[in-house]
Amino acid sequence: MTLPLASSAPIASTASNARGRSYAGLVWTLVRTDFKTRYHGTAGGFAWALLKPMGMFVVLMGVFSFLFASKPTYKLDLIVGLFLWDFFAEGTKSGLMSLNTKSYLLAKTRVPSWILVVTSIANAVITLVVFVVVIGLFLLATGHAPTMGTLLVFGLYCAALVAMVVGFALGSSVLFLRYRDLNQVWDLMLQAGFFLAPIIYPLGILPERFHFYLYLWPPTPVIEFSRMVLVAGAMPTLRGHTYLAIDAAVCLIVGIIVFTRLSPRAAEYV
Amino acid sequence: MSAPLMLEVDAVSKSFAIPSVRRDTVREHVLAAFKPRRFDQLQVLDGISFAVARGEAVGIMGRNGCGKSTLLKILSGVYLPDRGTVQAHGSITPVLELGVGWNTELDAIDNVMLIGSVMGMSIAEIRHSLDDILAFAELERFAKLKLKHYSSGMSERLGYAIAFKAVRDVLILDEIFAVGDAGFKQRCEARYLELRAHGHTAVIVSHDPRIIATYCDRALLLDAGRVAFEGPARDVAAHYVSTLTHAGSAS
Repeated sequence: MTLPLASSAPIASTASNARGRSYAGLVWTLVRTDFKTRYHGTAGGFAWALLKPMGMFVVLMGVFSFLFASKPTYKLDLIVGLFLWDFFAEGTKSGLMSLNTKSYLLAKTRVPSWILVVTSIANAVITLVVFVVVIGLFLLATGHAPTMGTLLVFGLYCAALVAMVVGFALGSSVLFLRYRDLNQVWDLMLQAGFFLAPIIYPLGILPERFHFYLYLWPPTPVIEFSRMVLVAGAMPTLRGHTYLAIDAAVCLIVGIIVFTRLSPRAAEYV
Repeated sequence: MSAPLMLEVDAVSKSFAIPSVRRDTVREHVLAAFKPRRFDQLQVLDGISFAVARGEAVGIMGRNGCGKSTLLKILSGVYLPDRGTVQAHGSITPVLELGVGWNTELDAIDNVMLIGSVMGMSIAEIRHSLDDILAFAELERFAKLKLKHYSSGMSERLGYAIAFKAVRDVLILDEIFAVGDAGFKQRCEARYLELRAHGHTAVIVSHDPRIIATYCDRALLLDAGRVAFEGPARDVAAHYVSTLTHAGSAS
């Protein structure tokens, strides 16, 4: 059997230019691989995965909308909070495990490890996009039609949340290879964090002196500001926005620093 | 050396810190916070230097634990050396111990897409070569089978088939020609010679003196992390056999 050689590509091609050309393809196949592994490669599998947060929404709404019956926008607040939280929880969980899940590439091939981490969040981002559409439909149905302006601001909040998740994913993915129970620790923190973030309750029911501490938990400002813009039709202050921007930048930068320090030796811990 | 250099390895050293007690969870670290551990440094590579010219095939021999696999991982860019540098003037396609690494939940086609793109092929190139790759590995019938149902031989064959397609400049092979049945070995050897004829560079690790002597121009013999002997492949292969026989008769 004679086979045509792949090496019609010039042998003189340098490593860097061969890599530059293939990054787009690499990112695409990694995202596709994750999607296939996670959802069995079908749209049905993807829809199935959406049932969990939707079901959660129905149950929580059924129970808590009675408790907070005095707040007419409770359902909208809940769906905004819950879906943003779901993205945060799913994105950080898959980011934390990303290098371990892809250890078969890390240990055997020359692959830029940051791409493995960042692409692992793609599935959560796809889900977030679907959630945003669902939120939009809910807003329309309840007479809170968003304007282009509010959508743009909300898009920026989502971007800030993505930056936080990417930062966390970068830092935690390399730490997980050294501390193999970090996922359990993080699961516990997520459980507590679900209640620390004002998702099922309005922030207003807590005394104002505690608000500062709740805002230290990264998802809180994103959830609160999104509700303000989308549901209440109000705009957070410049100070608030500055805080959110710094918060997202700090998460991202700390993640990048941890990753840059530990990732060169990550393959040795696989 | 007249041909331009493809790989330059300069004084590469690598050691691993082996802890007296292994702790790799947060819980273990917290519970043993006040019990210090002892770390022994295991020097795996100790000042290795050599160069590979464009189009040359260099063999690496040595007994188990002499640092061959670590050296290949450093050449492939998987491990970072503690000291010294590796300069590659081209892209490197490695097939390290036991294949290339698979997502066992996916079928052969998806894995070829994944590993092919990791090895630097474009999506179009992979789609174009998919049939050839499966044919080379004789796995057309099992293209839709998840890799978890593959035997180790089947997945190793697939690994070599992709690497032979993906290689651009340098091919790094750990124990090549040790995989598959006689027919597959023969195809691998033919393909390897074809790649060499087209000017590709190769670095091959093997325990088999025949393979080193037949398929390499030059070879290195590693011993305890150093280059113990270097020269034409045949001489190194013969030297390796004689050291083994000496060690055998001494013991």
